[in-house]
Amino acid sequence: MTPLVKPRSLFLGLTLLCLLAIWLSLALGPVSLPLFDTLRAALRMLGLPLAPDGLEQAELILGQIRLPRTLLGLAVGGVLALSGVAMQGLFRNPLADPGLVGVSSGAALGAAVAIVGGSLFGGLPEWFGPYLLSACAFLGGLGVTALVYRLGRRNGQTNVATMLLAGIALTALASSAVGLFTYLADDATLRTLTFWNLGSLNGASYARLWPLLIISTGVALWLPRRAKALNALLLGESEAGHLGLDVERLKRELVFCTALGVGAAVAAAGMIGFVGLVVPHLVRLLAGPDHRVLLPASVLAGASLLLLADLVARLALAPAELPIGIVTAFIGAPFFLYLLLRGRA
Amino acid sequence: MRLKTRVAVLCVGLLASLQVLAADLPQRWVSAGGALSEWVSALGGESKLVGVDTTSQHPQSLQALPSIGYQRSLSAEGILSLRPDILIGTEEMGPPTVIAQVKSAKVRVELFSAQPDLPTLEKNVTHLGQLLGAQAQATQLLERYQQQLKAQQSRVAKLQAQHEAPGVLVLIGHAGGKPLIAGKDTAADWLLQQAGGHNLATHTGYKPFSVESLAGLDPEVLVFADRALSGEAAKAALFKENPILQASRAAKAGRVLELDPTLLVGGLGPRLPAAVQRLADGFYPAKGNP
Repeated sequence: MTPLVKPRSLFLGLTLLCLLAIWLSLALGPVSLPLFDTLRAALRMLGLPLAPDGLEQAELILGQIRLPRTLLGLAVGGVLALSGVAMQGLFRNPLADPGLVGVSSGAALGAAVAIVGGSLFGGLPEWFGPYLLSACAFLGGLGVTALVYRLGRRNGQTNVATMLLAGIALTALASSAVGLFTYLADDATLRTLTFWNLGSLNGASYARLWPLLIISTGVALWLPRRAKALNALLLGESEAGHLGLDVERLKRELVFCTALGVGAAVAAAGMIGFVGLVVPHLVRLLAGPDHRVLLPASVLAGASLLLLADLVARLALAPAELPIGIVTAFIGAPFFLYLLLRGRA
Repeated sequence: MRLKTRVAVLCVGLLASLQVLAADLPQRWVSAGGALSEWVSALGGESKLVGVDTTSQHPQSLQALPSIGYQRSLSAEGILSLRPDILIGTEEMGPPTVIAQVKSAKVRVELFSAQPDLPTLEKNVTHLGQLLGAQAQATQLLERYQQQLKAQQSRVAKLQAQHEAPGVLVLIGHAGGKPLIAGKDTAADWLLQQAGGHNLATHTGYKPFSVESLAGLDPEVLVFADRALSGEAAKAALFKENPILQASRAAKAGRVLELDPTLLVGGLGPRLPAAVQRLADGFYPAKGNP
């Protein structure tokens, strides 16, 4: 199958799309700022010596609300799409998504423990309180993934099929535990839990942003280096082995990067479905299955898609806000169907 | 003619001085709490509200205001776009980063406790009165509120001395289907106690119940709060969806009371005394009642 778009024009297009998404994300919001003010405030924040008169509000909204939110969207969208590629490569199955190794359900379990059982952690220092949810979600995702990986190993070999099934079993187990916490929760915590499960970029702050930015940059720099290895893995595990590839190490890296990346993304923004599954597909439909293109292009596409979805999330019902998980699925799923059907015709 | 002008000037002057007085008070209000919005309205501040959250359903005119979403998942920019002077809410309001962002935009943020007890309520309403410039009204409203509740209490105490408290179940449902039963530590339970009912449910919070245990408890009075239907339609739906309830003493004696579900959200609201009285009337029917 020849790609619909040449890699160079794909990267050019996606870069432009991403820049456009960033600009829109900074320029639009429920508070309508004059375009000129936004521009001046942005330039001032970049260090240009402009007069600060009348820019107070613009700077506050741009610097404290929209910029952290945009950065969060970029990091979350990019890392989710990237993990999607890694999982689809690992399982050699285009239906794979980061949830398969248990990272999402583990994070959901961690979040449920933090939200419902939060009062039980009485002895925690006060400064840690706001971070409890994120920390629990991150550790939950990492823990369940580690368990899935461990269950898939036998005699120093990782059996991908066993891992897949272990992932399904542990996901079911974790969901039932979440269900139990849901039953125990009172009304207010129940709603918090529900909203968390739909994801949101709302309330982004720099303090929460740094860990995610560091992790996602690391993952985004590391995984594309393994593009050739992922291409070899497409042929099959033993074939990849015969090509001189350390397959065990590759699997370990893929699982670890996914757990780390998705864990951090989910900890910062809650559960955002669909991006990890569909963005790699979209890119593959456009540019073919070569991981050297697929990996970096998915980062750009995932980040752009999430920023645009967030724009809808914050503008559609302003001054209220939609959870972004609803938007990603609502826009993305029909678009995906369209691409599938068009490809078949 | 001359006199008219003078009167007009005087009026304008008066108005202006009122404006000066009022200038220190916040003029554009956003409220993120059902009971709080209701109190603001009761204190005559409804015209100052420019946005409310999704729990503010009462009075109905509030539903026409821009909605800022659910109190626990507010959006900073959304709130700021309403250009408010003040944001009021309970300690439930969040997420915390959003509240901090709103504060840093120089919007006054006032937190009120949602604790369902009278001292808290007194503090909240007095504070709201000050912020609205309606202190006198606040005192008056509070006095009446407390009088009504106290009158209820003594009435219920008297009735309970004569009759045994009836066993009650509170069912909260959606068009009758799969109702949740209100247990301890809920606003519904508090209401029930104030009205002199005995809650047959012993769990805490709102929980689903098996049909068998419903039949086993055999309540004397059923109280239902339906989010989708009201009146006879809700009652009919309740019995249609849960036929076992028809065999209960409450259904046979026709002692089935309706409760507005918006009363159960977000602390003590101004409509509670009336609701307590209605429930008490149902729990201890007319015979020999004062």
